[in-house]
Amino acid sequence: MSASQSAVRSRAEAVQASRTFDWMILFVVFTAILGGYHIHYMLTGGDWDFWTDWKDRRLWVTVAPIVAITFPAAAQACLWYRYRLPFGAVVSVLALMLGEWINRYMNFWGWTYFPVNFCFPSNLIPGAIVLDVVLMLSSSVTLTAVVGGLGFGLLFYPGNWPIIAPLHVPVEYNGMMMTLADLQGYHYVRTGTPEYIRMVEKGTLRTFGKDVAPVSAFFSGFVSIIIYFLWHFFGKWFSKTDFIADDAS
Amino acid sequence: MAATTESVKADAAEAPLLNKTNLIAGFMLYLVFYSFIRWYEGVYGWSAGLDSFAPEFETYWMNMLYIEMVIEVLLFSAINGYLWKTRDRKVMSITPREELRRHFTHWTWLVMYGWAIYWGASYFTEQDGTWHQTIVRDTDFTPSHIIEFYLSYPIYIITGTASFMYAKTRLPTYQEGLHLMYLVAVVGPFMILPNVGLNEWGHTFWFMEELFVAPLHYGFVFFGWAALAVLGVVNTEVMSITKLLKKDLA
Repeated sequence: MSASQSAVRSRAEAVQASRTFDWMILFVVFTAILGGYHIHYMLTGGDWDFWTDWKDRRLWVTVAPIVAITFPAAAQACLWYRYRLPFGAVVSVLALMLGEWINRYMNFWGWTYFPVNFCFPSNLIPGAIVLDVVLMLSSSVTLTAVVGGLGFGLLFYPGNWPIIAPLHVPVEYNGMMMTLADLQGYHYVRTGTPEYIRMVEKGTLRTFGKDVAPVSAFFSGFVSIIIYFLWHFFGKWFSKTDFIADDAS
Repeated sequence: MAATTESVKADAAEAPLLNKTNLIAGFMLYLVFYSFIRWYEGVYGWSAGLDSFAPEFETYWMNMLYIEMVIEVLLFSAINGYLWKTRDRKVMSITPREELRRHFTHWTWLVMYGWAIYWGASYFTEQDGTWHQTIVRDTDFTPSHIIEFYLSYPIYIITGTASFMYAKTRLPTYQEGLHLMYLVAVVGPFMILPNVGLNEWGHTFWFMEELFVAPLHYGFVFFGWAALAVLGVVNTEVMSITKLLKKDLA
């Protein structure tokens, strides 16, 4: 084997080159998904994710999973169907949450001084694990969309419940009954507060209603199924390796 | 024996497949630079960035905007001009080892692109949200915008186009034509910058309530999706690299 015929000098060097590429590929996929997913998520569900007073039992539970299932579905469409890597959803969510946590600490707290227990991100990991496990066990896009997508919506609220529960206890303040999260928002008025009052703080069943969260979660799960299908095909499209011929004209 | 010694010497003199110094230096360059930027906005955002009619706003923020825009145009032209001017005109005749070396250099560019996308699309974009939730804007050129739109976005655009240009001018893999997903991965996030025009036009209705999920921002979302096209580039690269290494890994 001459040097001109082979790219490497030994099998050991080939293995080393392959492993080095693996790490570089992982870094690029991770950071590109992080950037794309984060800008998508913050601009479609961000306000519900930024503040505890927006993390209510109705709209937060509905909106967050629907807009969050997108990139996991697309990443799975590439990583599982091309490489049989069963971590497309988890790696996407980990990337998103890393970007969010860095931001909430460094900027929401570090620059504009909102306490972290007022602006921590939502937890999306349980739903992502279910998506990956269902796909790995079934290898079926339909089953992953229906079972995994529904699970992604249903598990969102329970997955966040241990974190948000202390902030959903009722308090009385100036003769008004509200949650502790609402009280946080009352003390940290933001330029988005009028929208919050208009959109979130208006349902009579919203604040303490016991049935609102599961109903919202089911609705979110149903829509997540549809969004999963859609983004599976987006992921397939983004994975294409086609060239446009230079002499196409 | 003499020949063996000579070949060992040649191997030792040969450039490494992956230039780790370049990789680490590039990574550190953005990290140190953006850490400085974060410090700058932390200090001068509050002390000089609240009132766009104040003289100190001109000194610390508008001057920064003018300087960064000039430097970015120069850097874009210099890097892409250099890569084009020094292109390999016999790219299809390079040895497999040289091709592998160039793939590593290409991946150094892609690592830089991913790193730059993180800073632009994640770090400085969400940061902009908390700034606007805190400070009532009185200009399009708020401190967070001068960093986000006019610094971090151009930097990832410059990095992305340079990466594309390197691949197109030095790698046989990309001589087939224009790689569709590579174009999407570079042009899509680039289009976020023109979309700033729509954003600022919308926010001209001062004072508008600062809802981050407002439909006015959906243009950013649409173009942000294009970052996923990096998956298509990865797939093409994996096929090329596999071809280069396959028989040696078997």
